[in-house]
Amino acid sequence: MDALRSAGPTYSKLVDISKCIGCKGCEVACKEWNDLGVEPTANFGSIQSHKDLSPKTWLLMRFNEVEIEGNLNWLITKDACLHCEEPGCLFACPAPGAIVQYTNGIVDFNQENCIGCQYCVTGCPFDIPKFDASTRKVSKCNMCVDRVESGLEPACVKTCPTNAISWGSKEDMLALADQKIETLKARGYDNAAVYNPAGVGGTHMMYVVPHGDHLEDYSLPADPTASPAPMTGLVFLKRLGAYLMSFSVVGALVHFLAFGPERLEE
Amino acid sequence: MTVATGEVRNRILLRFTFFERIIHWIVGGAFVALLMTGLAFAYPTLFWMTILFGGGAAARVLHPWFGVAFGIGMVVMVVAWIRDMFLDDGDRQWLAAVKHYAMRDTDRVPPAGKYNAGQKMFFWFQAILAIVFLVSGMFLWFPEYFSAEVLRWMRLSHYLATLGGGVLLVVHVYLGTVAYPGTARAMVDGMVTDRWARHHHPRWHEERTRSELL
Repeated sequence: MDALRSAGPTYSKLVDISKCIGCKGCEVACKEWNDLGVEPTANFGSIQSHKDLSPKTWLLMRFNEVEIEGNLNWLITKDACLHCEEPGCLFACPAPGAIVQYTNGIVDFNQENCIGCQYCVTGCPFDIPKFDASTRKVSKCNMCVDRVESGLEPACVKTCPTNAISWGSKEDMLALADQKIETLKARGYDNAAVYNPAGVGGTHMMYVVPHGDHLEDYSLPADPTASPAPMTGLVFLKRLGAYLMSFSVVGALVHFLAFGPERLEE
Repeated sequence: MTVATGEVRNRILLRFTFFERIIHWIVGGAFVALLMTGLAFAYPTLFWMTILFGGGAAARVLHPWFGVAFGIGMVVMVVAWIRDMFLDDGDRQWLAAVKHYAMRDTDRVPPAGKYNAGQKMFFWFQAILAIVFLVSGMFLWFPEYFSAEVLRWMRLSHYLATLGGGVLLVVHVYLGTVAYPGTARAMVDGMVTDRWARHHHPRWHEERTRSELL
């Protein structure tokens, strides 16, 4: 497996939040390329298109107004699947082939194998997969896997007018992130950081975050993990259960061999 | 009283009514279907079992409906049997001697009534597990209305109940079939032999014999 993985590059997006102007061009490009169709919007006091991702909205620009060091900051996040190296959705999925991770790092949902249980929703630490009650299938950003396999960058990367989204190998993007962080620090953003959380083994969509000490204000979980406490417990319980249930069958057989069917005395 | 407790040759006794047998098999059938689909969802190596229910997506749709049948059946069963299921002093003595029961050392097992303490405990365990199954199952049936964190705990509870229920089922089926010949018939045509009743449930046998003689 490792040999296969090292055979090709693993891709990554790098979203430089400091360069994002909030134009939502990526939102539109995503809808167009993936043919997701429009959804009605409602004003809820923000420029944000929708409150949350949906089966038809795989990419959502989030706009949060937050006061940092006495100044009002308009924090923008390109919210979509982060394509974890250790995907909680994949660990939680019971249907073989419904969620797959390609060797290039992309985590994809194959709807024809999806059984609609929504366990992936419980497994994702970023609350990304969305369930469509009419089709009983779950969907999310697939990193434009059809473009990538043809050697193209994802639609959001292609459309971004400020080059806030970069695309390349994971190593190159990490190196680029370091440069960007250096520049940001020189500009006075002392806490600038790359968002590539270790709890999920790193991600194939990373952010350069100017205020790295305010992750939650960007709607980014500070310490996401692919195996939150109940899920770790579940993994342990399943192993225990497999043993106990098997042993109970074996135990019954051994008891039968030892004592046989009970014969009532004449 | 020796006459009343003696064996009556070729006599058979009704142990479970038609109604009780139907309810038992609704609950039992639903539980086996639930266990098969549920284990398929829990273990990718067992996912092939969903093919018996029309594939994964169909199994996911059917599983909660099996749960509805199981839940309704359990409620009826509890209402029908709960009166006989409270443990008395004789049952506590029986439980203390459960080792002798398992070792077939019948002479050292205190006489049981219509149900022995093990059967009564099985009833209560099953009732408690059913509550855990049904409550957590409701969350997992409609996950779109609950937070991921709540659902994680519900998956854990649902699986914990599966573990208990799976082991209980194996014990129940083993003791009810091959371990004690003549027992399974009580859930087929409802009858047991006089000898079986006198051996396994002496207090119930005595009660029935006396009421027939009166």
